[in-house]
Amino acid sequence: MNDIAAKGFKWVGTRPIRPDGVPKVTGRAMYGADFATAGTLYGKVIRSPHAHARIRSIDTLKAEALPGVKAVVTAKDIPDQKFEYQGPERVQQNFWHMTRNVMAREKALYEGHAVAAVAAISKSVADEAASLIEIDYEVLPHVIDVDEAMKPDAPLLFEDQITRGIEPAPTKPSNIAKRVEFKIGDLDAGFAEADVVVEKEFKTAAVHQAYIEPHACVARFDHDGQAEIWASSQGHFVIRALTAKLLNMPVGNIRVTPAEIGGGFGGKTVVYLEPVATLLAKKSGQPVKIVMSRDEVFKASGPTSGSSMRVKIGVRKDGTLTVAEGEFKFQAGAFPGSPVMNACLCAFAPYNIPNQQTVGYDVVCNRPKSAAYRAPGSPISAFAVESVLDILAKKIGMDPLQLRLKNAARPGTPMIFGPKLAHGGYVETVEALVNHPAYKTPLGPNQGRGVASGYWFNGGGESSASVQVNEDGTVIVATGSPDIGGSRASMALMAAETLGIDYNQIRSIVADTSSVGYTHVTGGSRVTFATGMAIVEASKKIVDELRARAAMIWDVDVEGVVWEDGQAKPASSNVGDFAPLPFKELAAKKALTGGPITAAASVNAGGMAPGFSTQFCDVEVDPETGKVTILRFVAAQDVGCAIHPSYVEGQIQGGVAQGIGWALNEEYIYDTKGRLDNPGFLDYRVPVASDMPMIEPILVEVPNPAHPYGAKGVGEVNIVPPMAAIANAIDSAIHRRLTELPMSPPRIRAALDHTGADD
Amino acid sequence: MAANRARVVFTAGFSRRYTGGVREFEVEAKNLRGVIKAMDQLYPGLGQHLEEETTVAIDGALHETAYFQPLRPGSEVFFIPKLEGG
Repeated sequence: MNDIAAKGFKWVGTRPIRPDGVPKVTGRAMYGADFATAGTLYGKVIRSPHAHARIRSIDTLKAEALPGVKAVVTAKDIPDQKFEYQGPERVQQNFWHMTRNVMAREKALYEGHAVAAVAAISKSVADEAASLIEIDYEVLPHVIDVDEAMKPDAPLLFEDQITRGIEPAPTKPSNIAKRVEFKIGDLDAGFAEADVVVEKEFKTAAVHQAYIEPHACVARFDHDGQAEIWASSQGHFVIRALTAKLLNMPVGNIRVTPAEIGGGFGGKTVVYLEPVATLLAKKSGQPVKIVMSRDEVFKASGPTSGSSMRVKIGVRKDGTLTVAEGEFKFQAGAFPGSPVMNACLCAFAPYNIPNQQTVGYDVVCNRPKSAAYRAPGSPISAFAVESVLDILAKKIGMDPLQLRLKNAARPGTPMIFGPKLAHGGYVETVEALVNHPAYKTPLGPNQGRGVASGYWFNGGGESSASVQVNEDGTVIVATGSPDIGGSRASMALMAAETLGIDYNQIRSIVADTSSVGYTHVTGGSRVTFATGMAIVEASKKIVDELRARAAMIWDVDVEGVVWEDGQAKPASSNVGDFAPLPFKELAAKKALTGGPITAAASVNAGGMAPGFSTQFCDVEVDPETGKVTILRFVAAQDVGCAIHPSYVEGQIQGGVAQGIGWALNEEYIYDTKGRLDNPGFLDYRVPVASDMPMIEPILVEVPNPAHPYGAKGVGEVNIVPPMAAIANAIDSAIHRRLTELPMSPPRIRAALDHTGADD
Repeated sequence: MAANRARVVFTAGFSRRYTGGVREFEVEAKNLRGVIKAMDQLYPGLGQHLEEETTVAIDGALHETAYFQPLRPGSEVFFIPKLEGG
């Protein structure tokens, strides 16, 4: 599957040692909390203890009078924003909401909601100052569950919120922020054609991205209005843009330096601390560092949505899917903006189903505002859809992979959002599993096998890169993409391939916002594709420059010089009898031939191809305890072209590991007052190494013709199938259909105790 | 480059908001800038919504909505909600 020779590449597709490995394993990598500057103050955020409360008043006088306290801020210090939805529908931003999430104004909307912040000379002084801030709350009724939040008599988070997307607009406010709908074909005709129809309801818990590194930043604000921020994030240009907007500052007055990042998975594409730290730095005149505790990470940063769903699918006896319908209700958290639209768009995307409808509801409730999490929305709807497909396969006596193969989306298949699918790759992932020897391995008692597939769009968009040739022939490549999945290595590999030089001559870095052109977030599986295109473009410019300099040395026209294997050569014997000029030699002559050899490129990358993944797993259920043990996990994914296969395999294994946690254990547990009961890794149980089988990644490579090396995004689609694959395996093992996540031991035990008919 | 005739399609929700429910159009354009310009002439102000709120699928292949994207004769141009991942 990964035949380098067949592709004709020298570096792309190889597995060199990762450039970020040494500083990470020796503890020297600089994460968000590791930055320190002279005179840095300790910043602390004071958070609401209530799930829902009106803030009658905040008295900060005693805290401000405490020796050692240098600044106190509340929402009054932050400019308010106009109530207006801005930007693309799926990712619309309403800065009226965003500023209230950064710092509560009229109401605290979830436990952990920031209400005030202090900067002091030490942690102990900051803690004491926090205790001196007097906040008068009027505690209000709260609502946590999405179905409860949608009821007409539910406590309202926003008393004037009218559901968008319904015409005519409702006359009464509700917690439903928005309704979306997508449809192709004729549902009635599709159901009439079906021999078997299955309809099921599902629920999933909110789960956190569970990155190991908490949010952290240091901010400095100078008297000339210039600010500098060091932060761990998935996009320092977005940190800059959002901080500037929320503090009413010119973008050019803020410089953000990216720290090494200890995991993000979508959750570090938004701001929580940066505007607060910048404001504290402005007020105090000193740099301010704020680091979230794990408790704060769970209570105040965004998990992905929990959900309530209904899916109904019809199939003919021969396995042809005729119709599919889904209703998806997502918790947005305290402010609108769940990934429910993605869920609607991705739900049936792997399949050629002529009649489809999806309806989604974005619902606010008294939880932290949801944030992106790896293929946001798609894993949630896939849990429901892929579970129903498994039920249908069992009902008509068809192998679940064959059902998927028979109905697979191929180039030309109409998608629910309008266009026809332009790229292949799905069929190949299914075939990879059909042909896998373990797929037919017999299983023992209480063991079962489950299959599921997934779809994710993958992203493109704006990226920038620069390439500098040093005088000794080494090269610096710089991008604006924080490296969360190996992009420094993949950028260097693509540069090496394009320049024709040794990978080890290239040092790959992530540059700050003032040192490289705008680059969108590291998210949406876009970096290897889009930033990679910028790297290739910049490297091509370097090649053109080197050809021009060789032409100058030889005193020939540039058209007479070609670039092969990292050296300039005469295009033909007619040009002259010149010995090739190697990269290193041309680098050494930079001054004589025109000065430093550098190039920059920026792209708005289009032509991104979607990702497909199909997975199977074997599980064993302990009927006494309800514990599910994963025996085997095989994950096939169309990766286009694996630029660095080890990193790609790691992405697949990581996505599956997170999916296993989502499936079996992870959930937010609230008490009756709406307070989170498990804000720590002891009680919020992510999988550990001993829970994991060897996850076998299969790299299916159907190249994307729009990318110079065929790359497709690889970071997200791998988390889409696991929850359904595991549910389907559990059903095969114990003949019980689990429809609610997590499928934890108590739920398995309850299912085993239930004597009603399965499915 | 000569202008090509392209088929332009909006989602139901987008067309309800901005084009009175009309979902399909035919326009002469050599690139996406031409499509946006033509649609803005039909529905003043629509161009800005297209630029800010959509991703585009040209003959099925997804692109960021950007002026330079070229069109072939008979291209199918779907404007869909902009997408972003994690």
